[in-house]
Amino acid sequence: MNWKLPFDIPLVVPTMGLPGWFFDTLGIIVFVVHIAFIYTLIGASTASVLYNITGVFKKSKTDDLLAYKMTNPTTISENMGALWGVAPLLVISVLYTGFFYTAILKVSPHILHIIYGNIFAFLLSYAYKFSWHSLHHHKGFHIAIGLVAVLTFYTLPPVFMSMSNLYLQPETFATVQNIWDMMLTPLTGFRLLNFFLTAFSFTGIVMIYLGVKWVKAGGEDADAGRLAIDQGKKWFMWAAPVNIAILPLVFFAFSPRISEAYIHTPFVFAPFAASVVLTILFFFLLKRFGTAEMNMGDATKAVVLMLVAVLLMATARHGIRVVSFEEPLKLQAEATEKYMTDVITEYKAYKEEMKNAPAVILDPAVSLADSKGCLACHSVDTALVGPSYKEVAAKGESADTLTASLKNGSTGKWGETPMPPQNVTDEEAKTLVEWVLKQK
Amino acid sequence: MFDFPIFEMPTIGLRMLMAINAIIHVFVSHGGAVGGSVVLALAAWWANKRNDMASYETVYRLLLVFFIITTSVGALTGIGMWIHANIISPNAIGGLIRVFFWKWFIEWIVFNFEVVLLLFWFMTWKEKALTPEGRAKSVRFGVFYAASSWVTMLIITAILGFMLTPNFDGQPWVDPEVYPGNVNYNNALFNPTWFPGLAFRTFSSIAFAAALAIMWTWLITAFSKDEAIRNTREGLIKLFAKIMIITVPVGAALGYYYLLQIPEAARAMIPTAMMTRAFADKMDLMYMIISGIGGAVVVTTIIAYFSPKRMPYIAATLMVSAFLLFWGYEERTREFIRKPFLIYNYMYANGIRVTDVPYLNKVGILKHAVFVDEEKKVIKEDKSNLVEVGHTIAQIECRACHTENGINGLKALTAGWSEAAIRNRINNLPGGGTPYMAPFVGTEAEKDALAAYIASLNKRGEIK
Repeated sequence: MNWKLPFDIPLVVPTMGLPGWFFDTLGIIVFVVHIAFIYTLIGASTASVLYNITGVFKKSKTDDLLAYKMTNPTTISENMGALWGVAPLLVISVLYTGFFYTAILKVSPHILHIIYGNIFAFLLSYAYKFSWHSLHHHKGFHIAIGLVAVLTFYTLPPVFMSMSNLYLQPETFATVQNIWDMMLTPLTGFRLLNFFLTAFSFTGIVMIYLGVKWVKAGGEDADAGRLAIDQGKKWFMWAAPVNIAILPLVFFAFSPRISEAYIHTPFVFAPFAASVVLTILFFFLLKRFGTAEMNMGDATKAVVLMLVAVLLMATARHGIRVVSFEEPLKLQAEATEKYMTDVITEYKAYKEEMKNAPAVILDPAVSLADSKGCLACHSVDTALVGPSYKEVAAKGESADTLTASLKNGSTGKWGETPMPPQNVTDEEAKTLVEWVLKQK
Repeated sequence: MFDFPIFEMPTIGLRMLMAINAIIHVFVSHGGAVGGSVVLALAAWWANKRNDMASYETVYRLLLVFFIITTSVGALTGIGMWIHANIISPNAIGGLIRVFFWKWFIEWIVFNFEVVLLLFWFMTWKEKALTPEGRAKSVRFGVFYAASSWVTMLIITAILGFMLTPNFDGQPWVDPEVYPGNVNYNNALFNPTWFPGLAFRTFSSIAFAAALAIMWTWLITAFSKDEAIRNTREGLIKLFAKIMIITVPVGAALGYYYLLQIPEAARAMIPTAMMTRAFADKMDLMYMIISGIGGAVVVTTIIAYFSPKRMPYIAATLMVSAFLLFWGYEERTREFIRKPFLIYNYMYANGIRVTDVPYLNKVGILKHAVFVDEEKKVIKEDKSNLVEVGHTIAQIECRACHTENGINGLKALTAGWSEAAIRNRINNLPGGGTPYMAPFVGTEAEKDALAAYIASLNKRGEIK
């Protein structure tokens, strides 16, 4: 295969003696926490706008209250989601530097959407939340703010997914020229479908959990709680079945090299296991949350099962990395070692040469001309931006005229390009002018 | 740099792209998170101690503003620093992450405390405000938030300091003779500009945040329908002015101390960094501007302290603008004086390591340019692709600072130059006139190609 891979950064990875699996596990755990918050962010922000709209149409106060209460998980998960996104990036970029950074460069400048698009969406989601009461009589405008925020959040996963699909498949580095080459592929479509389905089923579970909590708290919140449980169940029941079917297929949408190797690893069981866990959760929800019987224990069990499913998905994803990176990492290490050996050999030879080279004694006037930047535009014998010093000396101007030109600048004597005034003392000017006049 | 894919930012250039993100981040992280946390925790404590519930409520409204800005603009531009640095110089950020991996990891853990404490402080404020014990607890959240946001700055300034002063006391952090094996992470961390930089930033951040708090207090109290809130202006502005009276002079003194710790070669770059090359000899003008702005800040602080009620809004905004100008300049200067290096004596501004230079001068920069098409790597016999090859070299070696025809554009910079003049200039880099430019790296043939490309920029559209 014709690989295009950058060299590795020639500095050792500071592992502190910890084994490779430690970093792999660390990477998976921090990623699971990150993605759990991101799922909640996508779902909770959607739910908040959705129930705001149904509240208006059904003239239902409970829907409106549920919508308002969903802005809290939005705020928490946008902050925690961004924060926990940093840790997996840190681990990945130290372990797979070349692949990760190459992918980011290839999808630039669109990758900046992750920053500026997020800032825009965050600010709008705050505006939506904190104007809830003051815009009470302008519901249409208020919902529009929320809707734009949610739609902006929806634009972020495609960008991120394209970047991560690219870095997971180093064989595409040679052919992919920009983000669209990656975004408009079946793989990205497949993985996005999986992402959004998981986000909605995850949020369904979060809503059930919060609902049970609110019912327990009683009062006005209890109504919103009951609605949250009812709706949360629906979210899960709609999104999960499709996900259960497509999950085992997602991992075979990668390039043939990866998919074929993947089948022969234990990782191949992870997506199936995720489907099984989701199925169990499906029947658990059907049974336990069908009636008025709701308690904290059941809600917690549902959350745990959902997290197990997400952990299995992340493990399956890590499997792709292991399978895909084995060969290119080896090639990269070999190429880097050869390059660094050549570089260090040449550098040592250069250092040696410098040590033995006779010291160059420069005319103090030349050093002065260099330090004042004169040699940027002039040279002694060739016309550059300005005339050569030989030409200047040959013109036969007096030392005073030249000193004046040097100190105040001049134009028109040698064409249109002006010489700006130079920052020199009288003494320096004298040294320079004497030296220039000597160059005849 | 040469072995990663090439990405160019036309017109505004990569440097400006980075600067936009970096300066916004500094404004928010220093004014909002680090300084803001201290100032707001102090104000909440002060209001609670005096049992002044109206002021306590105003502090909440201030916190709302600071919360929104720090958690959106501040946090995301922080991650943005990484992504931007990656686009501009993957080798540099990759190197920094290798050297500082664990420090960054610790910073991330502390950052968790920072965000969680801020979320707790802000989101439980209303409910905790009902009882004195609750308020005392709430203030404690603020204090811990302030402490953790300061610790994140503690670690980041180590990395910033390292980029300027990586080697000291004859104990280099990396030995080029034997690396990649020999990296001394402690020498990298404990570099001489770490603590001076940190001390200076700590005090000037608090001063900046106090100025911001004055401006926002003015706005919040002016637009409140509640008379009690309107009446809190005087006391709070006086409190913030008091913070400034202490932190502005201390910050200025520490800034001077920090300046003295900067290596001489880097300090010599300050006039150009502050005034650009065209005005580098007009430092007296710079001193005048600095004294003017500094004087204005001092005078406004004194007015705010002695006559907070009469303090006009325009004075508060001017004070904040002065600080913004100051931080923007500080950032530009700090970034610029490192030139021609990105990491001093280790990596040039264009991402090429110092140790790579002799080898690349021998074999050429394009030999290892992995992502460059083969036909753009080798100059053909008839030199028909000379300009194209030169363009690739410019993309690799020049694009970090120059655009083709935008900010710091090569076209405008070399207008009226002959090809011989351009080649002579490339030959003499960095040179006395432009000490901030990295040397040309590559073979003589590659130098010809680069000169031909740069010369071609001003020849386009000319009738031959």
